[in-house]
Amino acid sequence: MSDYCRLGRAKSAFALAAAITILFNTALACAKDVHRPLSRFMGSVAGHNWTTQGLVDLILFFGLGLVLTKAGWAGRIEPGRLISLVVAAVVVGSVGLVAWYALF
Amino acid sequence: MNITMNDVILLGHATFGILGTLSALWVFVEALNAREENATRIRMGVTAVPISLCVACILGGYWYLHFYPAEKAIILQGPWTFAHNLFMETKEHLFFITLILALYLPIAAAEKLYANASARMMVLCVALMIVITGVAIEGAGAIVDHGVKVALLRAHVKGAPVEGDRPE
Repeated sequence: MSDYCRLGRAKSAFALAAAITILFNTALACAKDVHRPLSRFMGSVAGHNWTTQGLVDLILFFGLGLVLTKAGWAGRIEPGRLISLVVAAVVVGSVGLVAWYALF
Repeated sequence: MNITMNDVILLGHATFGILGTLSALWVFVEALNAREENATRIRMGVTAVPISLCVACILGGYWYLHFYPAEKAIILQGPWTFAHNLFMETKEHLFFITLILALYLPIAAAEKLYANASARMMVLCVALMIVITGVAIEGAGAIVDHGVKVALLRAHVKGAPVEGDRPE
């Protein structure tokens, strides 16, 4: 692949980390809604479950991004696939949140 | 004029939220025409987006934790309970998606976009998704605000104050 089309190690790694974190965020929002002890536990960590969720998201995004950058294999994923993955994660994550709170 | 800290924080939150969204739109337009000449403007834009949205997050988070419970109680006694149950619940979690995208934007735009078609496409997609989710979050905020308003109006018409109503 030419340099003109290559995303690069860090860009690819953090794109993958963003997609995973976005899906994790929606899953965690639903999980803490279903499982009240989880919500209470998260509340005890940082004073409020919402604050804890934000901190966990940030740690996951930057932590995963750094780990994947070091590992290097994310850079070998085709850029078009990574872009589709990020877009799909945002659509699934967003629609999932709306559907969850609308239906349950 | 009686402007409380509650009002300042809430309006600051909305202002920085819309600034971040507009900055993302700016980045999108600049990236559409990415050239060597506008590389500095793209860098400015991708820096403005996460800064604005982080400030919006801090102000909004503080307001949500300290002032929203009283407004939530008002909403839940009014006719627009969905303003909290659907719109606020979705907004407070959807914001993290926008924030993650905003934090990724400077990484995606780290190199010369005019020399890298894939990075340019990634920046276009991420910036556009920040704009779409940002506008949705702003709209949800307006509905939450209106949920408080219709609850207070109904209570005022009935002549009974609702629980959580702030004394003048």
